[in-house]
Amino acid sequence: MTQKKMTFLQELLGFVGLEDRLHLAWISSAEAQKFQKVVTDFTEKIRTLGPSPLARDYQKAVSL
Amino acid sequence: MKDTVKKWLEEKQVDMFLGYKMVHGHALPYCFQADRLDEVDDLVVSRERYSLEKMATHIAAVYPEMKIGMLARDCNQRALKVLDIWDQLKKDSVTTFNVNCCPSPLKNHGDCSYLEPSPVGPVKVELGIDNNMSVEHAEHLDQKERFAHWMYEFSKCIKCYGCRNICPVCFCKDCSLEHPELIRSGGALPTEVPLFHLVRAAHMAGRCIDCGLCEDACPMDIPLRLLYRKVGSSVSDLFGYRPGIDEGKSPFNLIGDAPTTEPRPI
Ligand code: SF4
Ligand code: SF4
Repeated sequence: MTQKKMTFLQELLGFVGLEDRLHLAWISSAEAQKFQKVVTDFTEKIRTLGPSPLARDYQKAVSL
Repeated sequence: MKDTVKKWLEEKQVDMFLGYKMVHGHALPYCFQADRLDEVDDLVVSRERYSLEKMATHIAAVYPEMKIGMLARDCNQRALKVLDIWDQLKKDSVTTFNVNCCPSPLKNHGDCSYLEPSPVGPVKVELGIDNNMSVEHAEHLDQKERFAHWMYEFSKCIKCYGCRNICPVCFCKDCSLEHPELIRSGGALPTEVPLFHLVRAAHMAGRCIDCGLCEDACPMDIPLRLLYRKVGSSVSDLFGYRPGIDEGKSPFNLIGDAPTTEPRPI
């Protein structure tokens, strides 16, 4: 259920052009290494994507 | 129609009837009652529409015993179903007089304001989103374009809350779009863009019945219906649930999966 709800949010964000910035993973409290890997990978991914377009003044993106 | 409504009121089948009354050439939402029976002669069905079921919800919240009669098009019927499922307005308390959305023999014509969308102008086509675009088309725009065009639309928002106020299935007492502890405000204006629209869109999951009233109400012509249609299509694809059409609880008012009596492996 959670997975479906997150997929729904990812689709909604993607629809308005904000894709790939939401990630869901199952990590138990015993899986420290997995936690470390998921967080590092996701941080890397966000770094490659660059700052959120929302952080900039969106009026510029809109080219009014 | 008028005779039936009069009969319902006279025989106390309903305590009030929500419909539209012609006032100075405008069909306005109106509550007809037995003590003013001749007013029923001014009851009209026209292109005008309003979420009468929202008024019914507010009335039932104060007078739970009230038997409410209501003029209902297809969209009103879908909304009533959702309101019943979410325990906002029990279906036993409402009697509907159903009217057709499409009275013409040409089925693509509808006697309501949304079935015939108006064409959009060149500026909107270039910078924004064509309100009549299909969900599939909008999904296939290139990412940069999609972002810029939606932000152009969202940034026009004047935060009038019209979309929320008209919506028949928006019923929370404490709206997260007005709650300072839940959402960051945009300075002088409430809730910033595009959070305002995305929060509302996410909250419509499992509820929006695609009546299009929000877009009709929006003074800034933001293609809200398209956004919520995407919500509807995602919910239908992922959860196999179509609000207002399918029976049963929405996947969003359950915690976890729907309970079943099927035996499960231990
Ligand atoms: S179309 Fe708009 S007004 Fe109608 S149910 Fe959906 S969100 Fe609410
Ligand atoms: S109706 Fe339109 S302008 Fe008003 S709050 Fe909703 S989106 Fe913004």
